[in-house]
Amino acid sequence: MQSKLSDIELITQTLGGDQSAYADLVRRHQRFVFTLAMRFAKNREDAEEIAQDCFIKAYRSLASFQRQSKFSTWLYSIVYTTSMTFLRKKRVDTDSIDDENTYIQLENQSSGFKNNMAETKSRSFYLNQAIEQLLPDDAAIISLFYMGEQSLEEIGQTLGIEPNTIKVKLFRARQRLKEKLEKNLKSEVKELL
Amino acid sequence: MNTMEERLWSYIDGTCTEAERRAVEQLIAGDTAWRSQYDELMSFELQLSKMDLDEPSMGFTYKVMETIRTDYAQTPLKATINPRIIRGIAAFFVLTILALVVFMFVTVPVSHANVSATLPEHLKLPKGFDLSIVKNYVSGSVLLKVFFIVDGILALFLADAWMRRKRQQKQALRP
Repeated sequence: MQSKLSDIELITQTLGGDQSAYADLVRRHQRFVFTLAMRFAKNREDAEEIAQDCFIKAYRSLASFQRQSKFSTWLYSIVYTTSMTFLRKKRVDTDSIDDENTYIQLENQSSGFKNNMAETKSRSFYLNQAIEQLLPDDAAIISLFYMGEQSLEEIGQTLGIEPNTIKVKLFRARQRLKEKLEKNLKSEVKELL
Repeated sequence: MNTMEERLWSYIDGTCTEAERRAVEQLIAGDTAWRSQYDELMSFELQLSKMDLDEPSMGFTYKVMETIRTDYAQTPLKATINPRIIRGIAAFFVLTILALVVFMFVTVPVSHANVSATLPEHLKLPKGFDLSIVKNYVSGSVLLKVFFIVDGILALFLADAWMRRKRQQKQALRP
Protein backbone atom coordinates (compact mmCIF):
# COMPACT_ATOMS: atom_id res chain seq x y z
CA MET A 1 0.00 0.00 0.00
CA GLN A 2 1.34 3.42 -0.95
CA SER A 3 1.99 6.17 1.56
CA LYS A 4 -0.42 9.14 1.72
CA LEU A 5 2.44 11.50 2.51
CA SER A 6 3.39 14.10 -0.08
CA ASP A 7 6.58 13.75 -2.13
CA ILE A 8 8.24 16.54 -0.13
CA GLU A 9 7.40 14.86 3.19
CA LEU A 10 8.81 11.57 1.92
CA ILE A 11 11.97 13.35 0.74
CA THR A 12 12.41 14.96 4.16
CA GLN A 13 12.05 11.55 5.82
CA THR A 14 14.50 10.00 3.36
CA LEU A 15 17.07 12.71 4.05
CA GLY A 16 16.56 12.01 7.75
CA GLY A 17 17.77 8.45 7.12
CA ASP A 18 14.45 6.62 6.56
CA GLN A 19 15.05 4.48 3.47
CA SER A 20 11.52 3.05 3.53
CA ALA A 21 10.25 6.57 2.70
CA TYR A 22 12.33 6.47 -0.46
CA ALA A 23 10.90 3.03 -1.30
CA ASP A 24 7.44 4.70 -1.14
CA LEU A 25 8.64 7.40 -3.57
CA VAL A 26 9.96 4.73 -5.94
CA ARG A 27 6.64 2.83 -5.80
CA ARG A 28 4.75 6.05 -6.48
CA HIS A 29 6.75 7.11 -9.56
CA GLN A 30 8.09 3.83 -10.95
CA ARG A 31 5.32 3.30 -13.53
CA PHE A 32 5.75 6.66 -15.19
CA VAL A 33 9.56 6.60 -15.00
CA PHE A 34 9.51 3.16 -16.60
CA THR A 35 7.04 4.29 -19.29
CA LEU A 36 9.18 7.31 -20.10
CA ALA A 37 12.30 5.14 -20.27
CA MET A 38 10.41 2.80 -22.64
CA ARG A 39 9.89 5.73 -25.01
CA PHE A 40 13.66 5.92 -25.45
CA ALA A 41 14.86 2.36 -24.97
CA LYS A 42 12.04 0.60 -26.88
CA ASN A 43 12.55 -2.64 -24.94
CA ARG A 44 11.66 -3.61 -21.39
CA GLU A 45 15.11 -4.77 -20.23
CA ASP A 46 16.88 -1.56 -21.19
CA ALA A 47 13.98 0.58 -19.93
CA GLU A 48 14.10 -1.13 -16.55
CA GLU A 49 17.85 -0.59 -16.35
CA ILE A 50 17.43 3.11 -17.18
CA ALA A 51 14.59 3.48 -14.66
CA GLN A 52 16.63 1.82 -11.89
CA ASP A 53 19.61 3.98 -12.72
CA CYS A 54 17.42 7.10 -12.49
CA PHE A 55 16.08 6.25 -9.04
CA ILE A 56 19.59 5.53 -7.76
CA LYS A 57 20.89 8.82 -9.19
CA ALA A 58 17.94 10.67 -7.67
CA TYR A 59 18.64 9.11 -4.27
CA ARG A 60 22.29 10.12 -4.40
CA SER A 61 21.50 13.73 -5.25
CA LEU A 62 18.29 14.06 -3.23
CA ALA A 63 19.94 16.57 -0.90
CA SER A 64 20.55 18.88 -3.88
CA PHE A 65 16.85 18.90 -4.87
CA GLN A 66 15.87 22.56 -4.43
CA ARG A 67 12.11 21.98 -3.92
CA GLN A 68 11.32 24.91 -6.21
CA SER A 69 9.75 22.56 -8.75
CA LYS A 70 7.76 19.35 -8.31
CA PHE A 71 9.78 16.26 -7.42
CA SER A 72 8.31 14.54 -10.48
CA THR A 73 9.64 17.31 -12.78
CA TRP A 74 13.10 16.97 -11.25
CA LEU A 75 12.94 13.17 -11.50
CA TYR A 76 11.78 13.25 -15.13
CA SER A 77 14.69 15.52 -16.05
CA ILE A 78 16.99 12.81 -14.64
CA VAL A 79 15.12 10.22 -16.73
CA TYR A 80 15.53 12.36 -19.82
CA THR A 81 19.29 12.92 -19.40
CA THR A 82 19.90 9.28 -18.45
CA SER A 83 17.90 8.08 -21.46
CA MET A 84 19.76 10.43 -23.81
CA THR A 85 23.08 9.14 -22.45
CA PHE A 86 21.78 5.61 -23.00
CA LEU A 87 20.85 6.42 -26.60
CA ARG A 88 24.24 7.99 -27.25
CA LYS A 89 25.91 4.88 -25.87
CA LYS A 90 23.79 2.69 -28.07
CA ARG A 91 24.65 4.92 -31.03
CA VAL A 92 21.06 5.28 -32.09
CA ASP A 93 20.51 8.12 -34.51
CA THR A 94 17.58 10.10 -33.17
CA ASP A 95 18.02 13.11 -35.42
CA SER A 96 16.28 12.11 -38.60
CA ILE A 97 13.08 10.22 -39.24
CA ASP A 98 14.26 9.75 -42.81
CA ASP A 99 17.10 7.55 -41.66
CA GLU A 100 17.06 4.38 -43.75
CA ASN A 101 17.32 1.99 -40.80
CA THR A 102 14.56 3.76 -38.92
CA TYR A 103 12.41 3.50 -42.00
CA ILE A 104 13.04 -0.24 -42.28
CA GLN A 105 12.38 -0.63 -38.56
CA LEU A 106 9.10 1.24 -38.85
CA GLU A 107 8.06 -0.80 -41.85
CA ASN A 108 8.75 -4.03 -39.97
CA GLN A 109 6.86 -2.80 -36.94
CA SER A 110 4.01 -1.80 -39.19
CA SER A 111 3.73 -5.21 -40.83
CA GLY A 112 3.95 -6.94 -37.45
CA PHE A 113 1.29 -4.57 -36.26
CA LYS A 114 -1.05 -5.59 -39.07
CA ASN A 115 -0.57 -9.26 -38.19
CA ASN A 116 -1.53 -8.61 -34.59
CA MET A 117 -4.57 -6.51 -35.40
CA ALA A 118 -6.98 -9.42 -35.11
CA GLU A 119 -5.56 -10.42 -31.72
CA THR A 120 -5.56 -7.29 -29.63
CA LYS A 121 -8.02 -4.56 -30.44
CA SER A 122 -7.53 -2.19 -27.57
CA ARG A 123 -7.33 1.54 -28.27
CA SER A 124 -4.52 1.93 -25.79
CA PHE A 125 -2.59 -0.79 -27.59
CA TYR A 126 -2.86 0.98 -30.95
CA LEU A 127 -1.87 4.29 -29.45
CA ASN A 128 1.11 2.77 -27.66
CA GLN A 129 2.17 1.07 -30.88
CA ALA A 130 2.00 4.38 -32.75
CA ILE A 131 3.90 6.19 -29.96
CA GLU A 132 6.63 3.56 -30.13
CA GLN A 133 7.09 4.46 -33.79
CA LEU A 134 7.66 8.13 -33.01
CA LEU A 135 11.02 9.73 -32.42
CA PRO A 136 12.07 9.51 -28.74
CA ASP A 137 11.66 13.27 -28.20
CA ASP A 138 8.13 13.30 -29.66
CA ALA A 139 7.15 10.22 -27.67
CA ALA A 140 8.60 11.74 -24.49
CA ILE A 141 6.72 15.04 -24.93
CA ILE A 142 3.40 13.25 -25.50
CA SER A 143 4.01 10.95 -22.52
CA LEU A 144 4.99 13.83 -20.23
CA PHE A 145 1.96 15.89 -21.27
CA TYR A 146 -0.71 13.20 -21.12
CA MET A 147 0.63 10.54 -18.74
CA GLY A 148 2.93 12.58 -16.53
CA GLU A 149 0.38 15.39 -16.25
CA GLN A 150 3.13 17.95 -16.73
CA SER A 151 2.43 21.48 -17.92
CA LEU A 152 4.27 22.97 -20.90
CA GLU A 153 6.51 24.91 -18.47
CA GLU A 154 7.33 21.75 -16.53
CA ILE A 155 8.10 19.82 -19.71
CA GLY A 156 10.33 22.73 -20.70
CA GLN A 157 12.19 22.39 -17.40
CA THR A 158 12.54 18.64 -17.86
CA LEU A 159 13.89 18.82 -21.39
CA GLY A 160 15.72 22.13 -20.98
CA ILE A 161 13.66 23.83 -23.71
CA GLU A 162 11.53 27.01 -23.75
CA PRO A 163 7.78 26.41 -23.11
CA ASN A 164 6.87 28.03 -26.45
CA THR A 165 9.13 25.59 -28.28
CA ILE A 166 7.51 22.75 -26.32
CA LYS A 167 4.10 23.98 -27.49
CA VAL A 168 5.23 23.75 -31.13
CA LYS A 169 6.92 20.39 -30.54
CA LEU A 170 3.80 19.01 -28.86
CA PHE A 171 1.67 20.13 -31.80
CA ARG A 172 4.02 18.43 -34.28
CA ALA A 173 4.28 15.30 -32.14
CA ARG A 174 0.48 14.97 -32.07
CA GLN A 175 0.35 15.44 -35.85
CA ARG A 176 2.97 12.74 -36.38
CA LEU A 177 1.13 10.45 -34.00
CA LYS A 178 -2.07 10.91 -35.95
CA GLU A 179 -0.21 10.16 -39.18
CA LYS A 180 1.20 6.97 -37.67
CA LEU A 181 -2.24 5.89 -36.54
CA GLU A 182 -3.69 6.62 -39.96
CA LYS A 183 -0.90 4.69 -41.63
CA ASN A 184 -1.26 1.73 -39.28
CA LEU A 185 -5.04 1.56 -39.20
CA LYS A 186 -5.99 3.17 -42.53
CA SER A 187 -9.79 3.56 -42.50
CA GLU A 188 -10.16 2.16 -38.99
CA VAL A 189 -8.58 5.26 -37.49
CA LYS A 190 -11.89 7.10 -37.61
CA GLU A 191 -13.50 4.24 -35.76
CA LEU A 192 -10.76 4.29 -33.15
CA LEU A 193 -11.04 7.99 -32.54
CA MET B 1 -0.86 30.12 -34.67
CA ASN B 2 -2.15 29.88 -38.20
CA THR B 3 -3.88 26.72 -39.22
CA MET B 4 -7.26 25.56 -37.99
CA GLU B 5 -5.66 22.56 -36.25
CA GLU B 6 -3.05 24.69 -34.48
CA ARG B 7 -5.70 27.11 -33.23
CA LEU B 8 -7.91 24.28 -32.09
CA TRP B 9 -5.11 22.57 -30.17
CA SER B 10 -4.28 25.87 -28.45
CA TYR B 11 -7.95 26.16 -27.53
CA ILE B 12 -8.11 22.57 -26.20
CA ASP B 13 -4.83 22.92 -24.27
CA GLY B 14 -5.96 26.26 -22.86
CA THR B 15 -2.81 28.03 -24.04
CA CYS B 16 -4.50 30.63 -26.24
CA THR B 17 -5.42 34.18 -25.25
CA GLU B 18 -8.90 35.16 -24.06
CA ALA B 19 -9.69 36.90 -27.39
CA GLU B 20 -8.54 33.89 -29.36
CA ARG B 21 -10.55 31.54 -27.15
CA ARG B 22 -13.73 33.51 -27.86
CA ALA B 23 -12.99 33.62 -31.60
CA VAL B 24 -12.45 29.84 -31.74
CA GLU B 25 -15.64 29.23 -29.74
CA GLN B 26 -17.60 31.26 -32.29
CA LEU B 27 -16.02 29.37 -35.18
CA ILE B 28 -16.84 26.00 -33.59
CA ALA B 29 -20.43 27.09 -33.02
CA GLY B 30 -20.97 28.53 -36.51
CA ASP B 31 -18.80 26.55 -38.89
CA THR B 32 -19.34 22.82 -39.55
CA ALA B 33 -15.76 22.26 -40.74
CA TRP B 34 -14.41 23.73 -37.50
CA ARG B 35 -16.96 21.75 -35.47
CA SER B 36 -16.01 18.49 -37.18
CA GLN B 37 -12.26 19.09 -36.71
CA TYR B 38 -12.81 20.07 -33.09
CA ASP B 39 -14.78 16.87 -32.37
CA GLU B 40 -12.06 14.77 -33.98
CA LEU B 41 -9.28 16.45 -31.99
CA MET B 42 -11.25 16.20 -28.75
CA SER B 43 -11.76 12.49 -29.33
CA PHE B 44 -8.01 12.09 -29.98
CA GLU B 45 -7.26 14.12 -26.85
CA LEU B 46 -9.55 11.86 -24.81
CA GLN B 47 -7.85 8.72 -26.06
CA LEU B 48 -4.41 10.16 -25.30
CA SER B 49 -5.37 11.12 -21.76
CA LYS B 50 -6.72 7.59 -21.15
CA MET B 51 -3.49 5.84 -22.13
CA ASP B 52 -2.19 3.23 -19.71
CA LEU B 53 1.22 3.40 -18.13
CA ASP B 54 3.66 0.52 -18.54
CA GLU B 55 4.39 -1.59 -15.51
CA PRO B 56 7.97 -2.53 -14.56
CA SER B 57 8.77 -6.00 -13.18
CA MET B 58 7.40 -7.07 -9.79
CA GLY B 59 10.68 -6.71 -7.92
CA PHE B 60 11.56 -3.30 -9.33
CA THR B 61 11.36 -1.34 -6.05
CA TYR B 62 13.21 -4.13 -4.21
CA LYS B 63 16.03 -4.07 -6.78
CA VAL B 64 16.39 -0.28 -6.54
CA MET B 65 16.43 -0.33 -2.74
CA GLU B 66 18.90 -3.25 -2.66
CA THR B 67 21.29 -1.35 -4.94
CA ILE B 68 20.97 1.72 -2.72
CA ARG B 69 21.60 -0.37 0.43
CA THR B 70 24.67 -2.00 -1.14
CA ASP B 71 25.97 1.40 -2.24
CA TYR B 72 25.41 2.81 1.23
CA ALA B 73 27.19 -0.11 2.87
CA GLN B 74 30.20 0.43 0.61
CA THR B 75 30.51 4.11 1.47
CA PRO B 76 33.91 4.65 3.15
CA LEU B 77 33.86 5.50 6.85
CA LYS B 78 35.45 8.87 6.07
CA ALA B 79 32.30 9.87 4.12
CA THR B 80 29.86 8.67 6.79
CA ILE B 81 31.44 10.53 9.72
CA ASN B 82 29.46 13.59 10.59
CA PRO B 83 31.62 16.66 9.84
CA ARG B 84 30.25 18.29 13.01
CA ILE B 85 32.07 15.68 15.11
CA ILE B 86 35.33 16.46 13.34
CA ARG B 87 34.78 20.19 13.83
CA GLY B 88 33.98 19.56 17.53
CA ILE B 89 37.23 17.68 18.04
CA ALA B 90 39.16 20.43 16.25
CA ALA B 91 37.45 23.09 18.39
CA PHE B 92 38.34 21.14 21.56
CA PHE B 93 42.02 21.04 20.59
CA VAL B 94 42.11 24.70 19.64
CA LEU B 95 40.42 25.74 22.89
CA THR B 96 42.75 23.53 24.96
CA ILE B 97 45.80 25.04 23.29
CA LEU B 98 44.45 28.56 23.77
CA ALA B 99 43.69 27.86 27.45
CA LEU B 100 47.20 26.54 27.95
CA VAL B 101 48.72 29.59 26.27
CA VAL B 102 46.60 31.94 28.40
CA PHE B 103 47.47 30.01 31.54
CA MET B 104 51.14 30.16 30.64
CA PHE B 105 51.04 33.92 30.19
CA VAL B 106 49.17 34.36 33.48
CA THR B 107 51.60 32.30 35.51
CA VAL B 108 54.85 33.57 34.00
CA PRO B 109 56.39 36.11 36.43
CA VAL B 110 56.18 39.60 34.99
CA SER B 111 59.03 41.89 35.89
CA HIS B 112 57.26 45.17 35.08
CA ALA B 113 57.03 47.37 38.12
CA ASN B 114 53.32 48.28 37.88
CA VAL B 115 52.01 44.83 37.12
CA SER B 116 51.39 42.32 39.85
CA ALA B 117 51.65 38.62 39.03
CA THR B 118 49.63 37.56 42.05
CA LEU B 119 46.05 36.40 41.72
CA PRO B 120 43.31 38.85 42.76
CA GLU B 121 41.66 38.39 46.17
CA HIS B 122 38.40 36.92 44.85
CA LEU B 123 40.23 34.23 42.86
CA LYS B 124 41.38 31.62 45.34
CA LEU B 125 42.83 28.23 44.59
CA PRO B 126 41.37 25.20 46.40
CA LYS B 127 42.87 24.29 49.76
CA GLY B 128 45.75 21.87 49.52
CA PHE B 129 46.47 22.77 45.89
CA ASP B 130 50.16 23.20 45.45
CA LEU B 131 50.70 25.83 42.76
CA SER B 132 54.41 25.18 42.67
CA ILE B 133 53.83 21.81 40.91
CA VAL B 134 51.99 23.56 38.09
CA LYS B 135 54.60 26.28 37.98
CA ASN B 136 57.31 23.65 37.65
CA TYR B 137 55.54 22.17 34.65
CA VAL B 138 54.80 25.52 33.07
CA SER B 139 58.13 27.12 33.67
CA GLY B 140 59.96 23.96 32.69
CA SER B 141 60.40 22.85 29.13
CA VAL B 142 57.91 19.92 29.36
CA LEU B 143 54.76 21.92 28.54
CA LEU B 144 56.51 23.80 25.81
CA LYS B 145 57.68 20.57 24.22
CA VAL B 146 54.17 19.03 24.44
CA PHE B 147 52.71 22.21 22.96
CA PHE B 148 55.06 22.14 19.98
CA ILE B 149 54.57 18.39 19.44
CA VAL B 150 50.77 18.78 19.39
CA ASP B 151 51.08 21.73 17.03
CA GLY B 152 53.42 19.75 14.81
CA ILE B 153 51.00 16.80 14.64
CA LEU B 154 48.09 19.10 13.83
CA ALA B 155 50.15 20.78 11.10
CA LEU B 156 50.99 17.37 9.61
CA PHE B 157 47.28 16.38 9.63
CA LEU B 158 46.31 19.60 7.90
CA ALA B 159 49.08 19.26 5.30
CA ASP B 160 48.03 15.66 4.64
CA ALA B 161 44.36 16.63 4.19
CA TRP B 162 45.31 19.51 1.87
CA MET B 163 47.56 17.30 -0.29
CA ARG B 164 44.86 14.58 -0.54
CA ARG B 165 42.31 17.14 -1.64
CA LYS B 166 44.66 18.51 -4.30
CA ARG B 167 45.36 15.00 -5.61
CA GLN B 168 41.64 14.17 -5.77
CA GLN B 169 40.94 17.41 -7.67
CA LYS B 170 43.67 16.54 -10.18
CA GLN B 171 42.25 13.03 -10.63
CA ALA B 172 38.73 14.39 -11.12
CA LEU B 173 39.94 16.74 -13.88
CA ARG B 174 41.58 13.90 -15.82
CA PRO B 175 39.45 12.69 -18.77
